[in-house]
Amino acid sequence: MKTTGNLIEKIFYDDDIVKKFTLATMVWAGAAFLFGLIAALQLAYWPLNANLEWITFGRLRPLHTNAAIFAFAGNAIFAGIYHSSQRLLKTRMFSDLLSKMHFWGWQLIIVAAAITLPLGYSHGKEYAELEWPIDIAIAVVWVIFGLNFFMTIRQRREKHMYVAIWFYIATIITVAVLHIVNSIAIPVSFLHSYPVYAGIQDALVQWWYGHNAVAFFLTTPFLGLMYYYVPKAANRPVYSYRLSIVHFWALVFIYIWAGPHHLLYTSMPEWAQTLGMIFSVMLWAPSWGGMINGLLTLKGSWHLLKTEPLIKFFVAAITFYGMSTFEGPLLSIKSVNSLGHYTDWIIGHVHSGALGWNGFLGFGMIYFLVPRLWKTQLYSKKLLENHFWLGLTGILLYYISMVVAGITQGLMWRAIDGQGNLVYPDFVETVIRIVPLYWVRALGGLLFLIGFILMCYNIYKTIQLAPKAQEDKAVEVARSGYDEVGGTAHRKLEGMGFLFSVLAFLAIAVGSIIEIYPTLSLHKYVRPDSITDPYTPLELAGRDVYVKEGCYVCHSQQIRPIAAEVLRYGKPSTIEESMYDHPFQWGSKRTGPDLARVGKKYPNLWHYSHMVDPRAVTPKSIMPSYPWLAEKDADFLSLRKKLSVMKMVGVPYADDVVANADIHAQKQAQQIAADLEANGSPKGLEKKEIVALIAYLQALGQKGKAQ
Amino acid sequence: MKQEGLKYFTDTHLTGMGLLIFFIFFVGVLFWVYRKSSTEIYHKMEQIPLQDGE
Ligand code: HEC
Repeated sequence: MKTTGNLIEKIFYDDDIVKKFTLATMVWAGAAFLFGLIAALQLAYWPLNANLEWITFGRLRPLHTNAAIFAFAGNAIFAGIYHSSQRLLKTRMFSDLLSKMHFWGWQLIIVAAAITLPLGYSHGKEYAELEWPIDIAIAVVWVIFGLNFFMTIRQRREKHMYVAIWFYIATIITVAVLHIVNSIAIPVSFLHSYPVYAGIQDALVQWWYGHNAVAFFLTTPFLGLMYYYVPKAANRPVYSYRLSIVHFWALVFIYIWAGPHHLLYTSMPEWAQTLGMIFSVMLWAPSWGGMINGLLTLKGSWHLLKTEPLIKFFVAAITFYGMSTFEGPLLSIKSVNSLGHYTDWIIGHVHSGALGWNGFLGFGMIYFLVPRLWKTQLYSKKLLENHFWLGLTGILLYYISMVVAGITQGLMWRAIDGQGNLVYPDFVETVIRIVPLYWVRALGGLLFLIGFILMCYNIYKTIQLAPKAQEDKAVEVARSGYDEVGGTAHRKLEGMGFLFSVLAFLAIAVGSIIEIYPTLSLHKYVRPDSITDPYTPLELAGRDVYVKEGCYVCHSQQIRPIAAEVLRYGKPSTIEESMYDHPFQWGSKRTGPDLARVGKKYPNLWHYSHMVDPRAVTPKSIMPSYPWLAEKDADFLSLRKKLSVMKMVGVPYADDVVANADIHAQKQAQQIAADLEANGSPKGLEKKEIVALIAYLQALGQKGKAQ
Repeated sequence: MKQEGLKYFTDTHLTGMGLLIFFIFFVGVLFWVYRKSSTEIYHKMEQIPLQDGE
């Protein structure tokens, strides 16, 4: 290989930023795991909701998912990218200032999330709950990161971009597109907004985002890390470089299409569902290609498992990657999906990915990085081993208990006896049956957390015992690959950061546009004879309470056209029924029953008693109590503003309804409060949040002309 | 139900186009990557992580 004049330069890598991101990863991982454990225990033992609005399940669960994805996985990705990119590109990061702004900006965003989510400020869209000012901050920090990264590529000394860099590029571009498109909303106030999308359109955009958050936040960057750190740890090159390129392009092209597999059997147009299913099944091949490539890289290095036990984390992580990417396509097949969807099976599935793949790969990477960054040895390999086995047992307990719970409950929901009646008409029966498994799951989570605590101790000791004088060591690098003669078009393309990025962008843009574009003309799908009425102002206020309390994490609002489901909940949901839902609230998990047609099912008083204490009407319920709803005043004053925003995004409110929204709301509230009182509830509820919520619940499924 | 869904399925050409673009591109990538002449460069590429000067 010829190199330009073989000029050797001495440079310093910026490892300070890598250290920062590594430590942040550890801190937020602890928070994410702890929140997850508490949430798991709340489902096993409802009193742990503690009647405290800030930590009730509906608010804690978004905190847990956001912490796990954006705080733990996010910081881990950044640590790995900043560390490996400098080395792969043979240059220091472009700007220390940008690196620092990225770091502190991101931590600030996490803190903002940790404050606003418990307070109930939420978009009501899964993994995109954060309100608009934080969304803007995320976009800004992401652009800072992108700028820093692309400028680093520009000033690189290694002409050839190793495949890990490709995965990072695809991540940076796609996450930006996903985040911006999905977060578009019109502010009502400083911490409240309504998405511009509604109904099926919001559903499609949301799951295009949601699925690709998994793809481009939890998969592609971690694959980049895998393609760097596994060869490093094993000290041998990746098994097949060619396969890694095919892996890359196939994933980037196919993933973007798979989102609608989250919406099978919904009122989403059939073609979108079929598209999602086909592409999801196609994903199986490249994913397994990648897994095999990762595992075979270790071929001939198995003896290292003894001397370098951290490789165990990598082996397990890649195996979990294979498992979850096998299970994903399986769950996207409609018949399997009809059983698994809305159950704990899905929770098991995502945790085999999150704990097994992201968690273990992240841990392996940290065990690899910390001794090198602090120029020392790991404090204890024995502790590392213990961490590994505890963690692995934890994941297996978690996964198995959730799959069993999911399939059990799914079968109970659909069981029909000889006379054509539901075998378990009482939803809560199907919940009670799986509560023991919730304990097993919590135990799994606890083991995983204990393993992590061992890691914290190990890392703490490692850093504590490291040499105190930490001088930065210069590395010698030479420009490489810039003067190859006769480079073919191929070579050039792989060396061209910009063109490459454009291609990657096109790959995801094509899929996205084709998928989302048709629903932009929502009217095409709506039948004029079954258009629904918008929510009344009070119902809208109630809907905001519903979103704020995170009821959607436990309740769906979408009845599938499946016999058992129609028996249990009523007619399948239609497109028209959610056409004014900004945001849609179809949900993805039925810890409680579907609510799409709960309106008029019970008297107002039933809801009042149930919300204040679910056990009062359903003795074995695991739903949290919401006593504060009967104490806090509903916000009627902002209704004018809210309705005008709704009108702006296309909900046909008459002008006088908008102008007198609060008065309309008060009138309706008085009627409901009077009814409650007449049936024995306390006096003076007409101003309370609970009345608005009851109005909303009673409206569900009652708005269609067909009713 | 299927028929009802398909009734609104007015954008077949878009989906078909997407699939076609993807397929052609994918075959292109396979062809590109598995050419004999690229063995040498890939051999170089795969060594990059192992030569970071540390
Ligand atoms: C931890 C999960 C969970 C959360 C969060 C939750 N619920 Fe429930 N919900 C349940 C369970 C389980 C049931 C079934 C047992 C029962 O009737 O209490 C249920 C039942 C219901 C029912 C009765 C449905 C029927 O058809 O019988 C309504 C209405 C309801 N919930 C409303 C809400 C509202 C409103 C919120 C948010 C303020 C909410 N739930 C939050 C778990 C939850």
